[in-house]
Amino acid sequence: MGNVPILISNLSKVYSTAKVRVAALQDVSLSLEEGVFAAVTGASGSGKSTLLNLLGGLDTPTSGTIEVRGRKISEMSREELALYRRSGVGMIFQSFNLIPGFNALENVALPLMFAGVAKRERRNRAGEVLAQVGLGARIAHRPSELSGGEQQRVAIARALVNRPRVLLADEPTGNLDSRTSREIVTLLAELNRDQGLTVVMVTHEESLAREFAGRGVRLSDGKVQAEERWR
Amino acid sequence: MRVRDHIGLSFANLWKRKLRTCLTAFGVTIGIGALVSMVSFGKGMQKNVTESFRSLDLFNSLTVFSEDFFTGERFDPDRRPAQPLPSGASRAVLDDAALEKIAALKGVDTVFPDVRIPAIVRFNGKDEFRLVQVIPAKVTSSRMLRFSAGKGYASDEEDSLIISDSLLRQFGVQEPQALLGKKMVISSIGFDFSRLNPANLTAALGGERLPFTTEDTELTIVGVAESQAFAGPIPIQSDVFIPPGVSKRMKKLPFSNIWDLFRAREGRLGYSAINVRLSSPAFVEPVKKEVAGMGLRVFALADQFKEVQKGFLILNMVLAAVGMIAIVVASLGIVNTMVMSILERYSEIGIMKAVGASDRDVRRIFFFESSVIGFIGGVFGFALGWAVSGVINRVVNYFLAKQGVPYIAYFSFPVWLALGAIAFSVAVSLAAGVYPAMRAARVDPVRALRHD
Ligand SMILES: Nc1ncnc2c1ncn2[C@@H]1O[C@H](COP(=O)(O)OP(=O)(O)O)[C@@H](O)[C@H]1O
Ligand SMILES: [Mg+2]
Repeated sequence: MGNVPILISNLSKVYSTAKVRVAALQDVSLSLEEGVFAAVTGASGSGKSTLLNLLGGLDTPTSGTIEVRGRKISEMSREELALYRRSGVGMIFQSFNLIPGFNALENVALPLMFAGVAKRERRNRAGEVLAQVGLGARIAHRPSELSGGEQQRVAIARALVNRPRVLLADEPTGNLDSRTSREIVTLLAELNRDQGLTVVMVTHEESLAREFAGRGVRLSDGKVQAEERWR
Repeated sequence: MRVRDHIGLSFANLWKRKLRTCLTAFGVTIGIGALVSMVSFGKGMQKNVTESFRSLDLFNSLTVFSEDFFTGERFDPDRRPAQPLPSGASRAVLDDAALEKIAALKGVDTVFPDVRIPAIVRFNGKDEFRLVQVIPAKVTSSRMLRFSAGKGYASDEEDSLIISDSLLRQFGVQEPQALLGKKMVISSIGFDFSRLNPANLTAALGGERLPFTTEDTELTIVGVAESQAFAGPIPIQSDVFIPPGVSKRMKKLPFSNIWDLFRAREGRLGYSAINVRLSSPAFVEPVKKEVAGMGLRVFALADQFKEVQKGFLILNMVLAAVGMIAIVVASLGIVNTMVMSILERYSEIGIMKAVGASDRDVRRIFFFESSVIGFIGGVFGFALGWAVSGVINRVVNYFLAKQGVPYIAYFSFPVWLALGAIAFSVAVSLAAGVYPAMRAARVDPVRALRHD
């Protein structure tokens, strides 16, 4: 049990609006061991993003529990969730979500600012992580001056700057061409292999998932349809 | 998040939207400018009055009236007696005997009757009707009178007079110095008893041939006094002053106002008032008590001053309220700007929350932005208020100087007003930032990050 950092049990999420009730996740139970590279697949609307947002502490479940590295995030207050997002987990998205007015270095340093790190230290650490993802020469560029692949690398650097042990990626290649997609997934696989980072990646591309990931989770209509172990 | 980062971030964010920031801060600038000039005007007036009270020794002054002075109440409500007559005290006539008694009291420095003679002042072929005030030589050389040229008369007997610089301007004289040593004619009214012979009596009493005549007295101008900027029931206030000796020799009526006659008791009129100067304000209360015990009414300007202070408090509040309207409008501008900013930065807020900003961090980001607007607006607002007041002060003084009113600084800018204006501006901006900040903190990151 010691090396089961992500433990999801009976997780449900229901979105209720004035007119409709959407059960985005229904009674999902799942466990992922430390250092795994898991790929979450499924049709559009099957609940993949919902699952990742709950894991990332961006949203709270309707019922069920989530435990990440011993911390029950399903029971955290808003304040605790902010702390968890700050350093317990890193997230990247299909649309990169960089702040347009900030350059690469400033975007990467942003989580450190909320952590109260001094400016000089922030710059040093952000520079290091950018170098790690292969963008050492692009630190002064704004997002608009970077290619899609480069933007996603900046986003990865930002997700990792506070040294979380878990990285959540919601369709990180959805906006990229196939060659760049491969580069990004390769980078994630390297981080997983070299640093023992636990990576959960949502993707449409079954072939990429099978090539790089060790575990596969298929969602359908908010339920786990299949679990596979590839390596 | 560090305070320093908050400040840096808010300046960076505001700088990105320069025009809007400037316009919003400009709104605050106008509001604070209005408030600052309003308050500084109120304070300036208050300071002027306080200072003129102090410099004219008015805190040391008492005015004594005869008990029947209340007859004047209907016509001059400002001169209400300050306290009721103690029971047992009998009414006294305000004559030379009473004056001597008051002069002998402990702490009394100078006593002189309030005598004003209706007269025509003639100079340069022009006539001006004035109440000529009789004041002793000693008083003319005290702090109660200030000279723009010349000085007070040396004795109570010399044929001299002092004229105010505003009357001087009425006579068309610009240079007070040139006037010293020139002669001026005072034409006073006196009884003409020859008209009261029995043959004419019926006509005289019927009003057809009044038993009055005028007499001219020629006096030398020895001093030009500065006019008082502020009118009020102060003891020395006239355009022409003459010594008591001259007054005695002059033909004149023993009253300056028909209502004075109602004071007469068995033909004894007495003075309408006696001015008392004390050696220190500490003697105000004891002397008031003594004089009241003599059956006289006594009135201290210091008491009046308390009323004046109350009046100024109200004036200041009214002026501040006018300034507040502008502030309220400006703060609505801040609310509007900040709410717009939230809508524009919706996804940015989502990103910040996704990477670990707490609700408090987000709230503070917005609080800092609105307070920076407030700070900028406060600094420029104070500067604006100061500049505008300066211009108004100059313009007003320029026009009033033409009418003989001496220079007055109408506005006062104490240090606390500068600091207070800025602090207040920041406080108002923070208050205006409450709603936007709360709203920003409540942004749902999941919704904010949904790209489609
Ligand atoms: N905020 C929301 N309100 C209502 N319904 C939502 C909301 N977010 C997601 N949904 C619904 O929940 C389901 C799962 O969505 P999502 O997890 O985004 O799917 P996926 O990422 O697999 O495409 C969808 O049917 C979607 O319409
Ligand atoms: Mg999705």
